[in-house]
Amino acid sequence: MKMWLTSTNHKQIGLMYISTTFFFFILAGILSLLIRLQLAQPDQNILTPHEYNQIFTLHGTAMIFLVIAPFAFGLGNFLVPLQIGAHDMAFPRLNLLGVFLFIFSGIIIFLGVFAEGGGAFAGWTAYAPLSTMIVGTGAGQDLWLLGILVNSVATIMVAINFVVTILLYRAPGMTMWRMPIFTWEILATALLILMAFPSLACVVCELLLERHYGAQFFNPAHGGDPILYQHLFWFFGHPEVYVMILPYFGVVTEVLAVFSRKPVFGYVGLVLSAFAIAGLSMGVWAHHMFTTGAVANGFFSGMSFLIAVPTGVKFWNWIGTMWKGKLEFTTPMLFAVGFLFNFLIGGITGVMVASPPIDYHAEDSYFLVAHFHYTLGGGALFAVFAAIYYWGPKMFGFKLNETMGKANFWLMFIGFNITFIPQFFAGIEGMPRRVFTYAPTGDLGWLNAVSSIGAGIMAISAVGFVLNVIVSKLAQEPVGDDPWGAGQTLEWATSSPPPEFNFHALPPIRSERPVFDMRHPELAEERH
Amino acid sequence: MPILNPASVQGMDLRGDWYIFFGAAMFVAVFVYALILYSVFKWRKRRDDDGSLPPQFHKNPPIEITGVVIPIIMVIGLFYVTYLREGVVDFLKPSPYATVDVAAYRWAWQFRYPGHNITVNGTPRNPPVLVMPLGKMTQINLYSSDVVHAFWVPAFLFKRDATPGYTMHFDITPTRTGLFRGECAEYCGLDHALMVFTVKVVPVADYDRWLASGGTTTT
Repeated sequence: MKMWLTSTNHKQIGLMYISTTFFFFILAGILSLLIRLQLAQPDQNILTPHEYNQIFTLHGTAMIFLVIAPFAFGLGNFLVPLQIGAHDMAFPRLNLLGVFLFIFSGIIIFLGVFAEGGGAFAGWTAYAPLSTMIVGTGAGQDLWLLGILVNSVATIMVAINFVVTILLYRAPGMTMWRMPIFTWEILATALLILMAFPSLACVVCELLLERHYGAQFFNPAHGGDPILYQHLFWFFGHPEVYVMILPYFGVVTEVLAVFSRKPVFGYVGLVLSAFAIAGLSMGVWAHHMFTTGAVANGFFSGMSFLIAVPTGVKFWNWIGTMWKGKLEFTTPMLFAVGFLFNFLIGGITGVMVASPPIDYHAEDSYFLVAHFHYTLGGGALFAVFAAIYYWGPKMFGFKLNETMGKANFWLMFIGFNITFIPQFFAGIEGMPRRVFTYAPTGDLGWLNAVSSIGAGIMAISAVGFVLNVIVSKLAQEPVGDDPWGAGQTLEWATSSPPPEFNFHALPPIRSERPVFDMRHPELAEERH
Repeated sequence: MPILNPASVQGMDLRGDWYIFFGAAMFVAVFVYALILYSVFKWRKRRDDDGSLPPQFHKNPPIEITGVVIPIIMVIGLFYVTYLREGVVDFLKPSPYATVDVAAYRWAWQFRYPGHNITVNGTPRNPPVLVMPLGKMTQINLYSSDVVHAFWVPAFLFKRDATPGYTMHFDITPTRTGLFRGECAEYCGLDHALMVFTVKVVPVADYDRWLASGGTTTT
């Protein structure tokens, strides 16, 4: 226990992030099941409106701030020093403080539900003036705001650490252009955090000032402006979307390459596209505000469309990586290919809602809900599973059971699509998001019933995953340095789990895949 | 499916955008899924694999540049389509036949017909009715008196936020008589889900009679 509280080792801290996000994932998943239970049929009263509103607020908040983003920080913490041949992160104590603050932020946010009057219910977007009204929003909303503030500070800390570590702590021979794609994506993510998260911290402070100290930033009665809140929030909120997906682009890239037995195709294009996405994502925030009638829709629409270009490059290069390979469908590979399938739907519907004439109907409907679940659920969360199955042996020293893993994948893939495809149609038929009930008009009844059945299948899959972890832990067959027999990057050149200072000796680094070069010296060539 | 059968002139314009984008999305989806499925089946490791390495190529600049150029061309085309249609819908035409002031408040709507002394109020359990003339342009002036709401009639494929401190204007020209569901689309607190209204589109003569009677005759 003392070791966990005081160790500044990046691997311990990475595992602290990962295990905490897993715990929050279970909680947020249970919340989503309650949502699907309430909506399974029209006009149900399983939950009161007040309970429902707290539940969807907490579900969104937890998945975004406590699961998808911080899992990537945990993965990055564990892997980045290993991938660049460093012995630890640049600022180990800052790192430990960051993970404590992150855990603390989650506790504040969740315990807010026990406040008098209940927890926050203004949605994860906490739009003013809804979130600044003191009447009806008590200490729960304040705890939510404080939790987000602490979370944003923790996130900025981990981002600074990633940037400095990646720029300054690379092993001899590990030039920038030889870094694994996952490390590149973490670098792009960290830079994006440093640009976007200060805006979140500021806007949360403004809400607190307005709630308690008479500030009037967003109150039109005193010259404030609710649209200003939306600008400040989405100036963070849209880059945040890419903070939650760029690391997982990295995960998928590495898994596809290793299980195709090939180098990453179009390495330079993949790196440049990560930075193109990060850069463009800073200029698209107001596409969340097309229906306000108060922003330059044409500009933000055009900028949003442009993101399709670097995202297209990613897909192109992922297919190029598989092309003419020898694809081995292990569980991580299945999740990576599942990511390609789901994320493509998230991408093409994203281009649709980037067009204001479409967004005028789709905005704030279940079409939008389905769209972003395809990017963050079918995309990021599938990559989370790919990462756990792929790097699990490196982290814990044992492989997860492959048979159970494949069942885990197929149930998740089928359940996910059954849950979210009907939601596109429910949205087109006119079902708004964030409603605790709906009228039994048109097809909404059966569409929602099917969606809820899909959620049940996903829940079974998640339980199967937990069982798999337990069964595999009990079986605990020790694994070698490179359990997949096809590792390319440096983390596979050390024991599983790695020793405290990571490497007893580093192999020569002459390309972006030194472990492959070590295994096939006849093919090794100096690159970049 | 409102996108198959919009009930307003503006909705028909917006539907064109849905169709073009849906077509483009389907084209991309079929193309990319075909490539992924081909790779997955064609290049999977066979049972009788000899253990040799597949070709270790890193790049193919002409192919990679193609993968940049094609999306750029598509994106420019889609932007042009968007630009054309959005202008048509957002442009406020002069001299509307009817004007309605719509006030959104938690958790109901109020419709006022300026110059006619008609005010329609509703409650969550008893939604108000917004009467509109068929085939004539109605200008909506939308505002909110508390938090952000959004005025959404799915049959018109259109919504607009009601933001405190702002008044928004837009036109609707209904093309079918009947009752259409309207709802609040921007989350506004406890009874957001119950903040609904009904749009009733009636022939012009009926509308005029209703207006002249001060909103008392049934339409």
